[in-house]
Formats: sequence, structure tokens, C-alpha cells
Amino acid sequence: MMRLPKFEYRVPRTIAEAVKIVGDVGPTAQFVAGGTDLYPNMKRRQQTPRTVISVMRVPELNQITGDGKSGVRIGASVTLTDIVEHPLINRDYPVIAYAARTISTPILRNMGTIGGNLLLDTRCNYYDQNYEWRKGINFCLKKDGDVCWVAPGSSKCWAVQSSDLVPVMVAIGAKFRLASTLGERMIDAAGFYNDDGIDYLKKRPDELLVDIHLPPTNGWRASYQKLRRRGAFDFPVLGVAAYIKFENGRANGERTVRDAKIVLGGIAPSPIQIAEASAALIGHAFDDEYIQAAAEAAYVKARPLDNTDFVMNWRKQMARQYTLRALRALAVSD
Amino acid sequence: MSASPNHPIGKSVPRKEGRKKVTGQALYVDDISFAEMIYGVTVRSSVPRGRITNISFAGDTPWDEFTIVTAKDIRDIGGENYVALILNDQPYLADEVVNHAEEAIVLLAHPNKYLLEEARRNVRIEYEELPAILTLEDSVDKKEIIWGEDNVFKTFLVDKGNVDEAWTNADLIVEGEYFTGAQEQLYIENNGVIAIANEHDGVTVWGSMQCPYYVHKALIKLFALPEDKVRVIQTETGGGFGGKEEYPSIIAGHAALLSLKCGKPVKIIYDRAEDMVATTKRHPSRTRHKTAVTKDGKLVAMDIEFVIDGGAYCTLSPVVLSRGTIHAAGPYFSPNVRIRSSAVATNIPPHGAFRGFGAPQGIFALERHLDKVAKAVGLTPDEFRRRNFIQQGETTATSQIIREKVDMAGLLDRAFELTGYHEKRQRFAKENEQSRVKKGIGFATFMHGAGFTGSGEVYLASVVGAEATSEGRVKILAASTEIGQGTNTIFAQIASEALGVDSDLIEVAQPDTANVPNSGPTVASRTCMVVGKLVESAVLALKQTLVGSGLLREDYSQSEFQEACRTHIEKFGPLKTFSTYQAPPNIHWNDEKYQGDAYGAYAWAVYVAEVSVDSLTYEAQVEDFVALQEVGRVINPVLATGQIEGGVAQGIGFTLFENVVWQNGRMANNQMTNYIMPTPADIPPIRVYFEENPYAYGPGGAKGIGELPMDGPAPAILNAIENATGVSFDHVPLMPEAIMENLTNVLHGITL
Ligand SMILES: Cc1cc2nc3c(=O)[nH]c(=O)nc-3n(C[C@H](O)[C@H](O)[C@H](O)COP(=O)(O)OP(=O)(O)OC[C@H]3O[C@@H](n4cnc5c(N)ncnc54)[C@H](O)[C@@H]3O)c2cc1C
Ligand code: SF4
Repeated sequence: MMRLPKFEYRVPRTIAEAVKIVGDVGPTAQFVAGGTDLYPNMKRRQQTPRTVISVMRVPELNQITGDGKSGVRIGASVTLTDIVEHPLINRDYPVIAYAARTISTPILRNMGTIGGNLLLDTRCNYYDQNYEWRKGINFCLKKDGDVCWVAPGSSKCWAVQSSDLVPVMVAIGAKFRLASTLGERMIDAAGFYNDDGIDYLKKRPDELLVDIHLPPTNGWRASYQKLRRRGAFDFPVLGVAAYIKFENGRANGERTVRDAKIVLGGIAPSPIQIAEASAALIGHAFDDEYIQAAAEAAYVKARPLDNTDFVMNWRKQMARQYTLRALRALAVSD
Repeated sequence: MSASPNHPIGKSVPRKEGRKKVTGQALYVDDISFAEMIYGVTVRSSVPRGRITNISFAGDTPWDEFTIVTAKDIRDIGGENYVALILNDQPYLADEVVNHAEEAIVLLAHPNKYLLEEARRNVRIEYEELPAILTLEDSVDKKEIIWGEDNVFKTFLVDKGNVDEAWTNADLIVEGEYFTGAQEQLYIENNGVIAIANEHDGVTVWGSMQCPYYVHKALIKLFALPEDKVRVIQTETGGGFGGKEEYPSIIAGHAALLSLKCGKPVKIIYDRAEDMVATTKRHPSRTRHKTAVTKDGKLVAMDIEFVIDGGAYCTLSPVVLSRGTIHAAGPYFSPNVRIRSSAVATNIPPHGAFRGFGAPQGIFALERHLDKVAKAVGLTPDEFRRRNFIQQGETTATSQIIREKVDMAGLLDRAFELTGYHEKRQRFAKENEQSRVKKGIGFATFMHGAGFTGSGEVYLASVVGAEATSEGRVKILAASTEIGQGTNTIFAQIASEALGVDSDLIEVAQPDTANVPNSGPTVASRTCMVVGKLVESAVLALKQTLVGSGLLREDYSQSEFQEACRTHIEKFGPLKTFSTYQAPPNIHWNDEKYQGDAYGAYAWAVYVAEVSVDSLTYEAQVEDFVALQEVGRVINPVLATGQIEGGVAQGIGFTLFENVVWQNGRMANNQMTNYIMPTPADIPPIRVYFEENPYAYGPGGAKGIGELPMDGPAPAILNAIENATGVSFDHVPLMPEAIMENLTNVLHGITL
């Protein structure tokens, strides 16, 4: 029977209090927001904190402030439902509302938070199993074992970055604010994730994610395309975020791409930026020839492993199609 | 007859237990608790086949606080260590050898669930592994003999005419091979029971189940007890789909063994992961067809080889095989038919009953194959079938003469009209040339027999009782279970119609082997047609008794009826009547030859699916679905429609989504995050239509309905996919990956 182990539950009301508890308790403490990721993991004994510190009652973490002109800050404990329904996010950052809407189901979005989503544990078919199952085949590297079942010779874990919002945050250049008893720091989403399924974050366990800073909406646009088996529920087994910014003014009636980013999620331990796709687009008109070249680059760079739903080859093939879709979605209106 | 204007048959009266369910008052087994009750868990094998060399109880678990049961305890109580069913080959607890992964070996009980979970992990079982058979093909090829002398649980031969001589008369012979995968029932409520057992009172079990008397029979053997010392009570049950037909006998036995040893009530509830990994699933199958036709598209001979994978023990495989075998030749007339079928053993957890019971497997193969044959003779799929539909007076594969009116061609016409089939066939062909998304429309035509196969019902000799209460109500006494499909409601409707009193006046007793007679298992689409008919006769007998005793006029009002019940009980004591199954006239079945009247009645159906296939992502989506069926009289339209919609959705899951991933004989994706069942976002509108043609021997004219909707979706959808893509697929579940492989081959000009 999968049951939560016993643990101590703490509910701080301020950031200072929250970071102090984690500082005092040490490595056996862990934050929880909606718990939609942490609690199932605890039931499966993948994570085993003794003290669980809720971040849901800290007012600073529950706010959305600012607007598209100056940039927006979203508190880490804002629920995904609130993001999906927020008028300002829908108006100024529709890509974020859209990507959040593709996450799981309404029930999980009512509980799940943006912070929890951005810190989501990496996933793997050999890991997201109950204790008995994992013990049955012998534990893997990620927890309690010393072999990787996906790539047996590997000393690294290939569990997959599976949040729908992460590729979008990386593509649009969001920043995260972290706090601990040592103080605060800001970190770029693009530099926040490690290509390692175990140590997948550049965040110390004692650091609290306070809020997410979205850049001003000065002329860029972005889109997201998600691949999954069903029309609801499923984690992305490929997520493509596309970001594009044009030069001011036009040359020969066409606008030239000044900046472009393609970020793939759901295929590797970290989000993957496709530099070749950016190179294929930047400095050119935004037309199908270059879009195709960018999609080809995404296809070449996508190297999914056999540890999520769907076979690898199909997911790799889909990297091209989904990049095409994501970019074409940006070409529609001017 | 009655003075009541009340004719509930054909009306959507609300579900009897509906209010309790939606308000949370219905008590499922995990809602029930007894004083001193403790919890039980099962320790299972981690290897698919092996000899148990050692069991040790390790770690810092306080073992002396635990109740521990192994096979030895069954010996000690003088019980039989097998689950009594057909061949009695499945042990309750593996003794020296294990024959599949997740086989139960040790049982533990303790009041503390947390300690129990740790304790389960601290039981160390060592094995000497033996070579295992993990696929149907390897079993058929006898790569290793793992069961009996030849890995075969059961074979059937249906032989009509002379197939071998027919080949020479054929203009064309078409062959094909088709496969279906395992499927998990995914009832909402997992398996669970509570047992109280002691020397003095015997064994009592409460649980989620379809067939209380199966459990009863199995426990009698396990505990070597007389019938009246074993009592089985069905609690509110959250779905079954066949998954709670034979399995509850096992979990009930486990809980009762623990209870007997510790002297306390013991509850065992599986979580989803355990339920999925350890309990039964639909039998995977392989079907080979060889079909002879004339050049104008008349069937001359059908030679069918049908194999199902039964898993490690026989369980219900022979009966599943029997239904699959008989349905494998469909609603067509062919003068020569041979069906050779077998159920084979593998070292995976036993496969078992699942809605359709072998029929969906065989029908999938046949309906795919007939599209292939039609193409080969140059006819459209519908024209080819029209030339071969069975007609009233013609014979099925088992030489059963169809006596009732049957009009498959008429059903086909109506289904095509409802879907705009012909117009769409033409339009899609044109539009698909230009379009990235290819559309297609396809259909399947089929029949499904209601009730037990062959002489099954005669052997069962089901009994239903009706009891009048002193308040003038009538209580139906039957072991048939309400599992969400509507048993209670339709029994009340049938009784109410027969008596001419309000259906509120009818109560349906909780199935409890101490209080209700054995009306047989709740399976095989038999509850309405067979048991419902017994309900009708039992209450009519009750009425007859009242009339006969002079307490009731032939033409009575409801209050007179109630008054008569009261007076009768006052004067003569309890008033109960019973009715026992009798086969309709002219039903003959030869068990040796597998010839004769396989089923008393068939439901007839035409299902049409419209699909789109994205030629870039290879995803297939069902866009529209029409399910048209003739099921005799519909007793409760809302419930009947719900059965069809649910069955079609489950069928779509079987076809495009639900893929059991096997790893060393174990279901690897035993959780709902990676065993993917369709959600409402993946299911099209399901349009349900009934033709009514009352069946003389069904209650109010009804036939069976529960399994039927599982048969049609898979072939209809794959036929539609062929129409959309030009590629013929021969297996389900069909995943985008498989579509990609075949479509890219086509694009690259490689022939298939
Ligand atoms: C069935 C199912 C389907 C799902 N489908 C999807 C999907 O399609 N797409 C998707 O992206 N996700 C999906 N998820 C994952 C998850 O539910 C969401 O990502 C959700 O947003 C997680 O948020 P949470 O608040 O519940 O996180 P929690 O479980 O509370 O926390 C997640 C992690 O973040 C840490 N944490 C949380 N808040 C903070 C903070 N402020 N500071 C520091 N650490 C913190 C926790 O310690 C934990 O390690 C799914 C989950 C389930 C169970
Ligand atoms: S990728 Fe390898 S190490 Fe990481 S979770 Fe999967 S099996 Fe374990």
C-alpha cells in the first residue's frame, strides 16, 4: 500500500521564518507547495524528508505584480489555475497561460503551483514507480542504486525534465529569485537547470524560490507546443518553446529576425536550447525556408532516451514537426 | 391483469442506489470497519518462474507482532491449496514453485499499516530461477514446457461442412493474421475484502465482487468447511468489467487465512499499483484466417485458428476461449467453417474475464480480415458483407439455426444513414489528397450471444427468489450483483412490470450467500436476459400464490396487492417463491462436437467509426462514433445507453491507447500515469441507437447488452484507419509509433 511516511509539518508565515526553519533543520527538511509532485514521490520513497515546510502561507509568495510594460513578478506559490485564469498574464504573456493550461488536469492545477512546477523532479519510467517495483528490478542511480537502467554503462542519470513551463521560461529569458539565511540571489532560468537527472537544479536545498520575474514584453513573441499521448493529464514527452524578436523597421517589406530561441523540454535532464536553430533564423526574414532549417536543427539535436512514454524514434521525429508548429504559430499575425 | 397504469419497462427510472452513491452514503468495502480489525498485505514473487529456496524474515521488523501465513498454514488446517474454479491448478499461496511474477507467497497482518508496509519489504524470498515462457508465440512453439504436457489449457474444434474439400471450389483464398494485446479492467474501486474467520463460526467475507457464489465455492475448499459455514457478502462494488469475476476468490481466501490465524477481522485492500500488476487482464490473442470465396463474393469456407494467452494458470481461460471461438466466425453464413482454438500457458499473471470474454479478440480479427477479403474480390466492405450476412433460418458456425428475425442489412442501412457513410467515403477520398490530416470511415458488423455458452446455463440451474414483506413490499433474492451496470434498477423494473406495482415497492436484497439463492455469476451479459427472466417468473409465482389462496383478485390495485401480502403472511407465515432456470424450448447443444445452439439469443450490431490520422505526427483520433444495435427490448434507456457509451470508450482505449508493457513477465507500466486510458478529451461523441425486436424468452423481451459494445470499436476504427491511410493494420493497441513505421514505409515505396 502506498502511504505517506510520518513527517513533521511546518507552516511559516514569512520568508525569513521559512528559510530559518530549513536552515535549522538542515538536509532532512524540504519545502512543499501544492504537493502534487512531492507527496507522490514521498509515497514512493523517492524523496524522504522528515520535516516538510509549506510555502503556501507566505503572502509574498502568493502575489502577481507588475504588467507587460515593466515586467511581471509571479510569486512561487501562485497556483497554476490562477495563472491560467489571470487576465494580465493572458493579455501580456499568453504563452505562459497557454503552457500552464496544458499541465495535467484542472484538479491538479488547482493544487499545483508555478514554483513547484519549475522545480519539478525529473522523470523516468524506471524511477516513477513504487518502492517494490524499483526494488524488484534493483534500484537505479537516481535513488538508492548504482546502475542506470536506461543507459546501463552510464554514470549519469538521464531522467527527463518534464515541466511544461520550464522551456517557456528559458526561451523568454525569465529570472528566478532565491532566498536563504545567507541572503537573496537572482538566477537566469537559462542557467538554472543542470544536464543531470539527479542534481538537476542549481539551487541549494536550503534555498527558497521566492518569485519568477518575467521580462517586459517589448516586441518579442513566444509559443509552446506540447506532445503527449492524450488530450489531458499526461506529462510532456516533448515540449517545444519558440521565442522570436524582430528588428525594428523592415527591409524589402519584410522584418528581419533579431533574436530567436528554440528550447526543447521533455527529452533530456535539462531543457535543451538549440543554438543551431537560432543561428538558422537570426538575420533572416521569418519565412518557411528558415523555419524549416530551424526545425531540422531541432530534429538533429533532439536525442530522447527510452525512458518516457512513446518510442525514442517517434519522439525525435516529432521534434521537427513540433518545432515547425511552434514557429509557424508565431508567423501568423504581425 | 393489473390495475396499475405503471409500465416501467422501457422507461429510464432512476438508479436504485444512485442517490446513495452520489451522496457518499454507499458503503464500499474500505468504508467498513469492525472492532479489533487489522490489515493484511501480500508478499509476492519477483521472478516469473522458479523454485523457492528460502524465505526469511529480516530487518528490524518486530516479527513476533505479525501474523504470518504461508502455504504450510493451509496444510495445517487441512484445506486445499487451490482456487477452486475449473482445473483447480492455481494455488492460494505458492508452495515450492512460483509460476509467474507477483504470485502470492506470504501473507502478513498487523494493526499498523506503516509497519506492515515495511515488514513486506523485509521478507526475503530466494529463488532458483527456471526458464520462463513470456509470450504466446513461445508457448505455442513449446520453447519450454511450463504447464502440463504441452502448455495447452484447453482446445476447441468447431467443424461445420468440410473445409478441406472446399478450397477447390473457391475462386479466391485470402489469408491473414491478427493480434490483440492485454488490457486492464481499470474498475474505479480496487479489489478489497474483509474477512472474519474462526473455528466456531466458520468464514465470513465482505468484499467488492461480481460473483459471491464463486467465492463461496472456493472458500469451502480452502478451509475444508461445509457450505453453511462459509458466508460471502457483496459490498457496494465500484465496477468489475470481469476483473472481479474470479479474482475476489483469491483475495478473500487470503484475508480469511490471516483472520483465522490471528483471530481478528482482517482487511486487505489493494492499491492501484498492486491491483494492476497482480490481478487479471484481458487475454492477448493471435488469430489466423484462411477464407475461401467465390468471385462474386460468396463465402465458401472459413478456416480460423484462434489462440489466447491464458497466463500461468488455467483460471477461466477455457470459458473465455469458448466464447471467443464461437464468436470468431461472426454474423455470416458460410457452408464450411472450421475453428481450431486453444488457450495456452505463459509465465505471466493469469489472464481472466474482461467484458466481451474472448469475443472482442476474435471479432477484431474477423472484421479486419473481411475488409481484406472484400478488397481481394473487388467489392466494397459493405457490399461483400451484404452478400454473406446470416439470414433467418440459416446456420451459424456451430450449425445453430437462427430462428429469430435478423436483419443485418437493415441495420447497416440505418447505420450508414446515421453517419453519411457513403458520402463521406467519397468526400474523404477526394479531400485526403490535399490534406495533411487524412480522414477515414469504417465499420464492423457483429453479433454477441447473451448468457452462458452452450449448456452452461443448464448446468448452472440458477435460482431467483421473491419474498413478500409484511409491509406489502417485494424483495428480490438473487446473487446477481450490482456493479454499476444497473442490476438493482432493472430487476425492480422487471418485477414491477410483472406485478403491476410501483418499482419503489420492489427491494433488491444485498447479495449474501446466507440469504439469497445462487442466481449464477454476474457475467456473460446474462443478468438481464437470464436472471431477469427468473425475477419475472419468481414474482409471478408470488402473485399466483396470492391469487390461488383467494386473497387477491386477478385484477387488483397496488394497495390490494399490499394488503394481500400482509394477510398472507399473517395467516400462513413467510411468503417466498423461487424460480429455477429452464432452457427455452428447442435449445440443443452438443458439448463434444461443439455444435448446436450456442446461445439462446444474440444481439446484433453495426458500429461505425470516423477517424483522422495526422500524416505528420501519425496520431489517430476517433472523430465520430455511431453504435447501432438490436438488443431485444430496452428495459432502461439511460442505463442501456450508458453501458454502450462506456463500452465504446473502453473499446477505444483497447484500440488506440491501452498498452500493457511487459518486462520479464511483469506489467511495467502498472500505474495510471503510464498505462494510458483515454480521457473525455480523447473520446468523440458516442451516438447510441437501438433497434427493438422483443425476444420471446427474455424479460419484457430483453436480451443481453453488457459485453456487446466492447466488440465493435477495435475493428471499426482500424477499418477506418485503413480507409484514411490506405494502410492495413493487423494489431491492437495501435500506437502512433506503429502507424509511423508503416506510413513511412509507404511513403518510401516499400511494400508491406
Ligand atoms: C498526474 C499528474 C500529472 C501531471 N502532469 C503534468 C504536466 O502535464 N506538466 C507538468 O509540467 N507537470 C505535471 N505534473 C507535475 C506537477 O503536478 C506540477 O508540475 C505542479 O505544478 C507541481 O507543483 P506543486 O506546487 O504541487 O509542487 P510540490 O509537489 O509542492 O513541489 C515540487 C518540488 O518543488 C519544491 N518546492 C515547491 N515550492 C518551492 C519553493 N517555493 N521553494 C523551494 N522549493 C520548492 C518541493 O520541495 C518539491 O521538490 C503532473 C503531476 C501529476 C501527479
Ligand atoms: S535515467 Fe537511469 S538513473 Fe536516471 S532515473 Fe532513469 S534509470 Fe534511474
